[in-house]
Amino acid sequence: MARFVIRRLLQSGAVLLGVTLVVFLLLQLVPGDPVRVALGTRFDPQTYEALRARAGLDRPLVVQYFSYLGRALTGDLGVSFRSGRPVTSIVLERLPATLSLAVTAVVFAMLVAFPLGILSAMRSGSLLDHAARVFSQFGVSVPDFWMGIMGILLFAGVLGWLPPSGYVALTEDPLRWASHVVLPAATVGLVTASILTRFIRSSMLEVLSEDYVRTAEAKGLRTRVVVLRHVLRNALIPVVTVVAVQLASLLGGVIVIEVLFAWPGIGRLTYDAVQARDYPVLQGAILLVAALFLLVNLLVDMLYARLDPRITAR
Amino acid sequence: MSSTRFRLAGAALALMLGALTACTAGESVDVDGADSSGSGGILNAAIGGEPDQLDPHKTSAYYSFQVLENVYDTLVEPDANLDMQPSLATEWTTSDDQLVWTFTIREGVTFSDGSPLTSEDVVYSYNRIISEKLNAAYKFTTVKSVTAPDPTTVVITLTAPTPNLLANLGGFKGVAIVQKTNVESGAVTTKPVGSGPFAVGSYTSGDTIKLVRNDNYWSDKPKLDGVTFTFVKDPTVALQNLRGGEVHWTDNLPPQQVPALRDADGLTVRSVPSSDYWYLALNQARKPYDDVKVRRAVAFALDREAITKAAKFGLATVNQTAIPRNSAFYYDYAPFQRDPGQARQLLDQAGVSGLTMDLMVTSEYPETVTAAQVIAAQLKEVGITVKIRTLDFGQWLDEQGKGNFDSFMLGWLGNIDPDEFYYAQHHSGGTFNFHKYRNPTVDRLLDQARTETDQAARKRQYDQVAKQIVDDASYIYLYNPDVVQGWSPQVSGYEVRTDRAIRFRDVALAK
Repeated sequence: MARFVIRRLLQSGAVLLGVTLVVFLLLQLVPGDPVRVALGTRFDPQTYEALRARAGLDRPLVVQYFSYLGRALTGDLGVSFRSGRPVTSIVLERLPATLSLAVTAVVFAMLVAFPLGILSAMRSGSLLDHAARVFSQFGVSVPDFWMGIMGILLFAGVLGWLPPSGYVALTEDPLRWASHVVLPAATVGLVTASILTRFIRSSMLEVLSEDYVRTAEAKGLRTRVVVLRHVLRNALIPVVTVVAVQLASLLGGVIVIEVLFAWPGIGRLTYDAVQARDYPVLQGAILLVAALFLLVNLLVDMLYARLDPRITAR
Repeated sequence: MSSTRFRLAGAALALMLGALTACTAGESVDVDGADSSGSGGILNAAIGGEPDQLDPHKTSAYYSFQVLENVYDTLVEPDANLDMQPSLATEWTTSDDQLVWTFTIREGVTFSDGSPLTSEDVVYSYNRIISEKLNAAYKFTTVKSVTAPDPTTVVITLTAPTPNLLANLGGFKGVAIVQKTNVESGAVTTKPVGSGPFAVGSYTSGDTIKLVRNDNYWSDKPKLDGVTFTFVKDPTVALQNLRGGEVHWTDNLPPQQVPALRDADGLTVRSVPSSDYWYLALNQARKPYDDVKVRRAVAFALDREAITKAAKFGLATVNQTAIPRNSAFYYDYAPFQRDPGQARQLLDQAGVSGLTMDLMVTSEYPETVTAAQVIAAQLKEVGITVKIRTLDFGQWLDEQGKGNFDSFMLGWLGNIDPDEFYYAQHHSGGTFNFHKYRNPTVDRLLDQARTETDQAARKRQYDQVAKQIVDDASYIYLYNPDVVQGWSPQVSGYEVRTDRAIRFRDVALAK
């Protein structure tokens, strides 16, 4: 197990190295000059050259990349073009907001999707099943920003139950954090729940037709026991993967939702950094997201072995 | 074995959750009860985006200046009519040859941390902008030297008479007086120290900037205990926040709802015409736009009322020149009325037919995207096919800099003196003359007016400039937008300003 983890961590390091290179090169291809964006329309050649030199953009690309890499190894991800602040602290500041939104959204999605998916698989063809399928179709096809705006108009506008936007840190005031997280988390969670519901339903249906399920039923076990012990456990393997992928992608920040709800997370940071061509911040944010993705995947692989003893982590 | 695995997974999960609670999003300062004497409350203001940084000399973002307006002072500052009034400087004299300006600095002024602000700080601030070639360096092109013979005197020596020097030194907070230690420590980017009515209490990246009253402020103490700025990009959400009472003030209102909001109860919505202007520019380095007939044909083909209605929902004033009606330098001139016949005739005379014109607009300013649709439809009627190119701002600026466009639409914001309206844009050597306009008469007039100290003569020169620029269709001017802001009835003492400066120093908040 320890060897497995160490090997995976080494692999992850190589992947991250690749990520830095690819991101660095891709950013060179993006049209738009960060210095011009920083100066806006009031463009003056002298001011331009001075700012370019201050940002280190006048150095050759190879020098820029390796000096970046060298500092990155020590945890220094450079300095933002725009704000002049260290990228490491900018990115880490945004992590709690995104983490709390992503985890809440996934928990919300699981609370909705598990009962709905299981019931609709067991009563396939029933009214409930149809309703569940309409729900999940709705969730995946309606754009999340539209649902977000509708949510704001209804719950913040008409009913006045929730604040329309903004963020309070969990550590600062858990209650106010909760009231602010409900709308964005539900909006994001609804999409995730729709995807999960469909997955749980089809995965359950597949297992329900297995021979061992028929055997279990034939030996007279109660339905509850069959479902919980035999069907659900076997149906969970692919579901865990989907949950993990969803969680990992949410950790990358839900750009549209974070922008809409003025949620100070990684997604909004990424959006602003792209707009401003703030390459160091963009690189830092992508690197962090990649690292989180790798971490979640590692955890999932370890969880597999727990769920199904036939799979061993090697 | 399997339980070991699970413990490991659990440990990693705990680590993640730990990060969740351990990383607090920046420090937060308890601004309530900072001072018991005022009890003026905290005003919550929602602005449309986040400042890039708070160093007034390095930022170019309007969002930054919305905050910094309340934190910094300049030597002089514009009043409601944009005339320059004393601020850190109480008075000033000019030498007979107009080359030496002597400013008297207000006594007893301190920065918000209590340290004194003297003429040395003024010299430091201006020299920083000039020597480091920072954003506002172009305002100091005629400045030869800045010296401080004594703590309350600043002497500025010029290479040429500069009648708009006061506008250059006070037009916006990009020329603010900063504190040397604050700059050199690097803290200025997130925790700037100024001498203005408020001081930055805390800045949580992505979330809020909290200002607290500066009890060392040299003029009347602000009534508010503080101002909290939040960044709300979506206007619908900002309006909802205002209605719900979470926010007391915003300038990010959905334009299409403004007419209805004006009459609505429970909100105050006010607008004034701004000194900004939006225009269409044709690339005169490319054929056939080097031909004035073609440019005039485009000018005759446009219906400015329709463009303004579509782009601004009527929250703008049509203007065929740059300077708005409420300015002393306004020049009443409107030679172009929509006339497709005349436009087609001009195109014929120029020998142009079946023209396809590239029009570059940017999603950064959605009004350009909307206006482009209307412009395209109007030009279609005179036989010009418009290909609209919508770019994000980074790409847009790149293309503009390289001259890769037939035409573009954009605006200029925050100008005060006519020199700012015309020189850099229309002088053949101007830094913002991206569309390559060249007219020796205009060049001569612009150079002359720049140093003309007789105000009446200066006005006449700029009238001539304006007429020539409009006749040549160097820029095809479209409209001056309104500044629209809304606030809750609890707020009193606030005034919408034509230069978009957001000043909260005289504002009070009812309980």
